[in-house]
Amino acid sequence: MFYLQLRNELWKLFGKKRTYIGFAMFLIAQNVITLVFRFSHASRGMIRQLENNGYSADQFISGLTIATIMLFPIAYVLLPLYVSLVGGDLVAKEAEDGTLRMILARPISRFRLLMIKWLAGSIFSVLLVFALGVFGLLSASLLFKWGGLFVMIPGDLFSIFEAKAGLNHYIFAHLALVTKAITIMGLAFMFSCFNVKPAAATILSLSFIFVNFILMQIPFFKEIQQWFLTYHLNLWQNMFAQPIPWWRVGQSMSILVGFNLTFLIVGCTFFQVRDIKS
Amino acid sequence: MAVEDLDLQVPHGDIFGLLGHNGAGKSTAIGMMLGQVWPTRGEIKICGYDVTRVRQKALQKVGAIFESPVFYDFLSGWKNLEILSHYSGPTTKSRISEVVEWVGLTGREHSKVRTYSHGMRARLALAQALLPKPELLILDEPSDGLDPEGIHEMRQTILRLHRELGLTILLSSHLLNEVEQLCTRIAVMNQGKKVFEGKIAEAKQPKNWVRLQVGNFVDAVNLLRGSRMIDEDRDGKFITLADRVTTDQIVKCLVGQGMPLFEIAHVEQTLEDFYLSLMKGGR
Repeated sequence: MFYLQLRNELWKLFGKKRTYIGFAMFLIAQNVITLVFRFSHASRGMIRQLENNGYSADQFISGLTIATIMLFPIAYVLLPLYVSLVGGDLVAKEAEDGTLRMILARPISRFRLLMIKWLAGSIFSVLLVFALGVFGLLSASLLFKWGGLFVMIPGDLFSIFEAKAGLNHYIFAHLALVTKAITIMGLAFMFSCFNVKPAAATILSLSFIFVNFILMQIPFFKEIQQWFLTYHLNLWQNMFAQPIPWWRVGQSMSILVGFNLTFLIVGCTFFQVRDIKS
Repeated sequence: MAVEDLDLQVPHGDIFGLLGHNGAGKSTAIGMMLGQVWPTRGEIKICGYDVTRVRQKALQKVGAIFESPVFYDFLSGWKNLEILSHYSGPTTKSRISEVVEWVGLTGREHSKVRTYSHGMRARLALAQALLPKPELLILDEPSDGLDPEGIHEMRQTILRLHRELGLTILLSSHLLNEVEQLCTRIAVMNQGKKVFEGKIAEAKQPKNWVRLQVGNFVDAVNLLRGSRMIDEDRDGKFITLADRVTTDQIVKCLVGQGMPLFEIAHVEQTLEDFYLSLMKGGR
């Protein structure tokens, strides 16, 4: 029965056009960035940096490198936006439309309903990150040849990988990025469980993330940046380090699990005690 | 407080009307029955199960329709039924087909709901309510937004549900003639409180009102009161007779005093009169 209910939730989610906005925007953004790198001098800085360090630019200005470069702005800005949009809709949109009242006239517990919705939101987040990785690699590979990976991590040094190792790091980074997508979706989902409009849930979630991010950039907070959610959300960047700091990844991962559980418990509690009215 | 001290019992097999103006607390009361609104105190039982404690069991045999039914417009009617029915339990395709046929949606069940008329949406709402084979059907303003033909069709369907499927129906409405035509018992709510509960017949004739048309109503009333022949008067044309007084005695009295008398007749109070008098009393 749980499987059927989850399948139906996915039908609802993927039956809406707005669910695909994220996928479409990723495609557009990635193709535009690829074209810019191919037909402008945008890669000149990278070439200089590679050659100054004794590497052949020809080998490392590859589809993999361009796909990874595109990943940073998209993971920072677009990904939170689209997972928040879906997470904020999951409960609040049904409450706003009135379909929630119809569902809750049925013998299903509120907790079970939320679990199904959260799981559907998580599946969406996984698919969106998967699409981000695949679309990026495909569009970059159309205009750039296959080769090694050169990646500059913000606030860190750069890493150089051979093609095969680079692809592994690229895949690991996307797997870690799933935790970021699910956490932000979960945050929007929590707000969605409150008695608010779907847009408000999305905006609250994005505001929380961006305020966290801005505060983290202020030098005063640099020393305590590990107390910020965004610090742990960026654990995916560690996948491009050499070697991967697994201990730090594990630490961030466990903190994100805690955050997710908190969001879920707070959301469920509010939803459980609220009145569902037309 | 939206609802206060509401004590209501819907007998098995009845069509029970819940009447009240907008904001009287009908929808809140229904919300509480369905476990959507939490009561601060009290107990709500459906089919013997306490809704606040064992909601899933209590709602197992309940179907509900709300005013202006909403669906997932981007999905087909069939898919909507499948989705909603699976919240109650496993539902076979043959059961969905059976219900679709019963409500008269055959042929359109695979069209997107956004292409449905208001009447078709009402039928789809009915279909989703019937899927779990309910014993109790809760209808919250089911005729809301329907055209006169749609309202007529909805009334016939409610009667059919009662007759053919033997359902107990709780009908919340502010359409007095609808309630009058369908219900056997009613409860009237005003400002969150129940102000009447009883049979329709009791509501329609609580007092023996007599219409009196005379030259001067005030003088006639004063005379009849002086003779202790009437108890009450209202609206400048109605009186109630005192115990054991008959209309021919009234006629004799008035004519004997030389008062012109044009009409005297017993009147049956309509549900509307009754409802309005309750509302006036409550405010």
